[in-house]
Amino acid sequence: MSAVLPEVEVPESGDVLAVTEDVWMALLGDDAMLVPRAVPPGTPFDATAWSAATTISGGWQGVVTVELDEALARRLTTRMLALPADEEASDSDVADAVGELVNMVGGNVKSLMPGPSVLSLPAVAAGRAAFASDSALACRLDLVWQDAPVRVSVHVPQEGPR
Amino acid sequence: MKILIADDSRVMRQIVIRTLRQAGHGGHDIVEAENGRQALEMVQSEAPDLVLSDWNMPEMNGIDCLSALRASGSQVAFGFVTSEGSEEMRERAASAGAAFLIAKPFTPEAFDDALRSVI
Repeated sequence: MSAVLPEVEVPESGDVLAVTEDVWMALLGDDAMLVPRAVPPGTPFDATAWSAATTISGGWQGVVTVELDEALARRLTTRMLALPADEEASDSDVADAVGELVNMVGGNVKSLMPGPSVLSLPAVAAGRAAFASDSALACRLDLVWQDAPVRVSVHVPQEGPR
Repeated sequence: MKILIADDSRVMRQIVIRTLRQAGHGGHDIVEAENGRQALEMVQSEAPDLVLSDWNMPEMNGIDCLSALRASGSQVAFGFVTSEGSEEMRERAASAGAAFLIAKPFTPEAFDDALRSVI
């Protein structure tokens, strides 16, 4: 993956982490914290996953992606819907919950960057995230919540000849 | 009072209802819409006292819904519950006639503060 050209403004990873922690705490409570996970650069997300992406376009352009371990995605959905412990979340509920998660992280990342910009509706997939070949990774957070991996990425358009 | 909650996410509608309860506003009559167009129709058919609306929704977004309501003469109290809490979005919301904007993620206290401004 090519490096981002210096003139492309990118969010600070500390700011993206703060945003993610705020969203996490609001949705899942503060009984377990998100903690950093050491993953070598370029390593694909290594879990059976759900992924969701939202695009910011206008004054600033970028794509915010959240990837989650399958069991964590289901636990997140159960917590968000306040389902009884013995009730399984449906796939459509998981897609809804994971989409809402990226909407919140993406909306808050948008607020950090120059505007005016527009936030897209979330796109959710059961599986690993797809990234456009003409985009460059600007920020990646590898985290763990209750032993389950979580990845938040921000990609920006890659400048120059394609 | 009757509150119309407009959000394309069922999960988020449930969280908003739960947060209203946690904020001490649990006794209200709640109706739900899945997008701005449905919310626009339901303001006519259900006559809510307050609309709590997401911003980004398919079919019709929240700001277009609010503009259409005001253009039709409706003065229903309208507040946004959205992940976009920047100053620019707050200004757009206020100039279109919104009473408040609650940014996601939110707390019950944020709901209580906002609702007390319209109840």
